[in-house]
Amino acid sequence: MTSIGTGYDLSNSVFSPDGRNFQVEYAQKAVENGPTTIGLRCKDGIILACEKLITSKLLVPGSNKRISTIDRHIGIATSGLVPDGKHFTNRAREEAISWRRNFKDSVPVASLADRMGSYAQAYTLYSSVRPFGITAILGGADDDGPALYMIEPSGMYWGYFGAATGKGRQAAKSEIEKLNPTELTLLQGVKEAARIIYVAHDDNKDKEFEIEMTWVTKDSKSATAAATGGKGMVWNGWVHEDVPKELLEEASKEAKKALEEDDEDEGETKEEKMDEDL
Amino acid sequence: MFRNNYDNDSVTFSPQGRIFQVEYALEAIKQGSAAVGLRSKTHVALVALKRNAEELGSYQKKIIPIDKHLGVALAGLSPDARVLSNFMRQQSMASRLLYKRPVPVARVVNAIADKAQVNTQHYGKRPYGVGLLIAGVDETGPHLWEFQPSGQILEYFGAAIGARSQSARTYLERSFESFPDVSRDELVLHGLKALRDTLQQDRELTTENTSIAIVGIGEDLKQYDGPRVKRFLDLLGEDGTRSQRAARLDTAMDVGGGADDDDDELAGLLGPGEGTSAMDTTE
Amino acid sequence: MHRTGLSLGIHQLEHTQPSSRLNHHHHHHSTTTASTNYLHTLSSSHLSQHHQDLQIESITMNQFPHGWGRPRDDVYGAYDNSYLNESQPITHTQRPIVTGTSVLGVKFKDGVIIAADNIASYGSLARYDNVERLLQVGTHTVVGAGGDISDMQYLHLLLDNLLIKEQYPADDHQLYAPQVHTYISRVLYQRRNKFDPLWNSILTAGADPKTSEPFLSYVDLKGTTYSAPALATGYGAHLAIPILRRHVADEEAVSNLTQEDAQKLVEECMKVLWYRDARSGVKYSWAIITKDGVTTGSKEIENQSWKFAEMIKGYGAQNI
Repeated sequence: MTSIGTGYDLSNSVFSPDGRNFQVEYAQKAVENGPTTIGLRCKDGIILACEKLITSKLLVPGSNKRISTIDRHIGIATSGLVPDGKHFTNRAREEAISWRRNFKDSVPVASLADRMGSYAQAYTLYSSVRPFGITAILGGADDDGPALYMIEPSGMYWGYFGAATGKGRQAAKSEIEKLNPTELTLLQGVKEAARIIYVAHDDNKDKEFEIEMTWVTKDSKSATAAATGGKGMVWNGWVHEDVPKELLEEASKEAKKALEEDDEDEGETKEEKMDEDL
Repeated sequence: MFRNNYDNDSVTFSPQGRIFQVEYALEAIKQGSAAVGLRSKTHVALVALKRNAEELGSYQKKIIPIDKHLGVALAGLSPDARVLSNFMRQQSMASRLLYKRPVPVARVVNAIADKAQVNTQHYGKRPYGVGLLIAGVDETGPHLWEFQPSGQILEYFGAAIGARSQSARTYLERSFESFPDVSRDELVLHGLKALRDTLQQDRELTTENTSIAIVGIGEDLKQYDGPRVKRFLDLLGEDGTRSQRAARLDTAMDVGGGADDDDDELAGLLGPGEGTSAMDTTE
Repeated sequence: MHRTGLSLGIHQLEHTQPSSRLNHHHHHHSTTTASTNYLHTLSSSHLSQHHQDLQIESITMNQFPHGWGRPRDDVYGAYDNSYLNESQPITHTQRPIVTGTSVLGVKFKDGVIIAADNIASYGSLARYDNVERLLQVGTHTVVGAGGDISDMQYLHLLLDNLLIKEQYPADDHQLYAPQVHTYISRVLYQRRNKFDPLWNSILTAGADPKTSEPFLSYVDLKGTTYSAPALATGYGAHLAIPILRRHVADEEAVSNLTQEDAQKLVEECMKVLWYRDARSGVKYSWAIITKDGVTTGSKEIENQSWKFAEMIKGYGAQNI
């Protein structure tokens, strides 16, 4: 941040003498304070999860969603400026619909990630716009199986086995690294995701939160999924939908319990240590 | 208050990743008088405080009906509210024409949110300077949403926007758990009590300055102004002035401009009091 | 006069230029503005005079290059350019190409049954025999289409996209048959107003998941909508409707009709259509929609008897 005040950070699309675009970096700052959001690529699907802080008890629980459906087989979770996330999501939906119109086929996840990366990049090119204040985690499945991508404000995107962004991303990342993505099933993934969100939650702030979690699965039990897929419909059989409520509640309960036990363990060891010291 | 380099437009992030122009637009809401919304299992009510710019002038509009099942209350720049509400009316009519369906509340709210976001990302545009409370009933029951110039939308059991609205929020937070089962009149009454808490000490709710709208399952949106408000004010009883509790709060916090984040630095620019002047378009 | 320049013609407008020199010199063909007019007059008068000269000379040679290699006007008369006239009205679809025939729909007390065969004809040729003309739209709606198959497929694309968009908000709202029917009717009516219709007649059938109320409605390529306890498109409108009305004349009859009877009724009508509609097929799809959702199936016309055909002149090896 040494270049603050030198004037090279006041406009988008301007390089500083050392070759940086500060406005893009500042946009990333908007994400760093956003809610912890993760994506897991499992053997048999994708999990998207985010920590939703309850800023007021007057808010309707379960409303005000942060994870959205792009097409039947793709979901997106964004962290950062919520309205920017909505705009980005809408664009992804348009791309998916356009793909359907052109090819009568569901858009492959990689193709959508590529287009959305380009879209984000375009907003770093002109002084008349600002970059998106979000990172987006895009998860879905196609003929090549489940796929997960994370797109940054710069337009850069990578494919992931596990992706994390937002405030608790560091803690979340180190938890994700302990997993074995080639063996992980969706059902295990739900529990892991819940646990990771709990671990990454900042206890010091002590705010209440709820977990929002969706998955992309091939065996959906929903009535809508059952009603889809007749001749004349374009669908590859994968569904992005909310993780069933009971499953999420169970996973949250377990995650909370595990965390409390960990805390107790830590507490004990501390006390023991103090005893020793005495 | 002093300027910084990053608050000239809505296409510049500050080093902390903030967009000041959007944050300033949020301040414009607080320049307007308060509006309160709340919902029960069957109804949603909006109540709002109207201002008159001068003694001989009329009181300004605070509630705009959109459709039979939908209405909004506003705080901030009323011309901006008119643009947004006209857009909502179009959406509403399009839904009826295309699907023979009253537009679902969440969708029309999402539509204005998307519209507002664009204004925060392009040079030469400005964010809208108005906050809205959107009340409506659809297939999934009654809904209350808050809209902000940032493009943020949130669904609430009870919400308040505008000058000194924190007092109203405090009231709502304390009593919202009883809202689901209250009657239509009681719901309005809770709204009026919340609204009353936003008043300055020497003011009271009157038939002139109070606006009410209510919509319910199987019941079209109905707006009450002028003499028709009297019935509700009578229900409110007492003298229509702020509750003792709110007055105490004020004293405790030694506040002129409100017990909350309403520290109106911008108010001074616009005129005396809470930023009301004859030329002022904020409501 | 100068002040009223706005209402004057170009010629006079030039007079209103502030330069007095311009005014004076206007008739002397010496300024730029004026010389344009001069050139115009000069060239046109020059040409017309030249033209007269050529007409006299054209007995020996036509000097207009565009006339070279063409029949001589003085021998064959003026050249008829009318074939170059491109001011024909723009036309869009004027007829269907590959077509499906009837769709039948009957309301019964707990729902609706809808059926359509699987033939797609190219004129009188039964070109395809496995075309699905019933589309399930959401959990409680089925749309059946007669008429142009490619237009139907386009409509299916629209409905598929509509369904996806409907799922975006994840807010428990759903499109049911009345909404789907209204949407289709708006699309068809809009297209007919562009004089580029989607060449279909459509039945939308559904049931309300809460009230179990059956829904059945018709819309055609002109955007005309129509509702009745029993509906049929195409040849079915002529051959099946009279039979259907005998059983379900009104809503009261609907509330007395069981699902089994409705199924039998449709089977009977499909059989009549198979006998008498030369564009029909022996295999058909059916769907039943009740408050519990959609069940679909496929069926072939059973117990056929073509004995009656022997009475028909020209059928088979008859000796008359």
